[in-house]
Amino acid sequence: MGMHHSPPLTARQVGLKACTSCGSLQRIGSTAPCRRCGAKVSSRREKSVQRAAAFLLVGIMAYIPANLYPVMLTKAFTGNTSDTIISGVFVLIDSGSYVVALIIFVASVCIPVIKFVIIAGLALSLHFDWEMSSRTRSRLHVLTEFIGRWSMIDVFVVAVLAALIQLGAILSIVPGVGINAFALSVVFTMLSASSLDPRLLWDHIADD
Amino acid sequence: MTTESGNPDTLDSFDELIACPGCDLLHHRQSLQLGELARCERCNDIVQTRKESTVDRSLAAVLAGIILMLLSLSLPFLSLSRAGVSSEISVLDAVSALWLSDMRWLGFVTLAFIVMLPLARLALLGWVLWRIRFDRKIRSGMRTAFRWAIRLEPWAMADIFMVGVVVSLVKISTLANLHVGLAFWSLLALVAVSVYLNLALCKDTVWACIIRRP
Repeated sequence: MGMHHSPPLTARQVGLKACTSCGSLQRIGSTAPCRRCGAKVSSRREKSVQRAAAFLLVGIMAYIPANLYPVMLTKAFTGNTSDTIISGVFVLIDSGSYVVALIIFVASVCIPVIKFVIIAGLALSLHFDWEMSSRTRSRLHVLTEFIGRWSMIDVFVVAVLAALIQLGAILSIVPGVGINAFALSVVFTMLSASSLDPRLLWDHIADD
Repeated sequence: MTTESGNPDTLDSFDELIACPGCDLLHHRQSLQLGELARCERCNDIVQTRKESTVDRSLAAVLAGIILMLLSLSLPFLSLSRAGVSSEISVLDAVSALWLSDMRWLGFVTLAFIVMLPLARLALLGWVLWRIRFDRKIRSGMRTAFRWAIRLEPWAMADIFMVGVVVSLVKISTLANLHVGLAFWSLLALVAVSVYLNLALCKDTVWACIIRRP
């Protein structure tokens, strides 16, 4: 194998595939699991773009009811109120908790929407072979994997409040159906980001 | 392309090479100094690491993590007082409160992401690292265990939960008085220990200890 630096080659170009868990290489034609760690080895994750797109679609679909239905119902002797994600943010702004309002807005609105746009963009760019810098695409992918989990904040807020605030007629908090849809949306978007094999983002350079 | 039938391919011949996990580019395997890491020249992903006394440090972090997790579960987490009525809950109380009052789904999600997945990850890592540290026989199950421990990492959400708790405290401060208990601080310590564990754990070193020898 001519492995002397110019030009650099990928494992796939020299007929090898790398195990993503332990890093060992094996021949691309082999169907056996990784000899050293036992993981299933594929040169590129099978149906990676299709899987990412399917999970993303479920994530987007779940995000719609997550915003339309209330995520939290507050029952107090002074009256009952129900809040959606957005109205919850406005309640926080009205009560002067600007930092917390910003945290919730970023975690529940900005991050999910940014993730939808980035993953959809990456999947479309791979499917239609768009001209796009691999470095940019790779950075966007790392970003989505890093920020995705933080959307769960609102789910935990509702869980803590609903578990704690159970004082009967005085004050009680009940989760709304919106929060279930929101949690589903976060989980499926995380699955979508992790289904996308980052090695695909660099392949069009290697194919030249 | 070479097929594997016939000659049992000699893996040793590929051992001087390593492919970048982020972009598949081949690199020559470097012999790193302690504390060094090698990055991919194309995508900047980490290709190789070598960390100082990684097994000892990681095992210590795992054991500390398990103890802190058990403390967080048993000690009071938050207490609430309003109009003379007060209540005190632990993390498990919170989950069972959700479960019993027909909010099972939310209770399950909380239990899974805060308790079960992090604990499973710590237990798997603890088993693998313990057997390496005390020179026990390397079992094939350790490879599967370590793989799952790596895979579970993004799903352990104690850090996000803590932010959620702080937000809850602020949100409810106008309606009732909330106070944090000892479990809150031990869960916060668990988050710090998890960060330390991720910094101390060198996957390459652990794989080198447990991979099947050709």
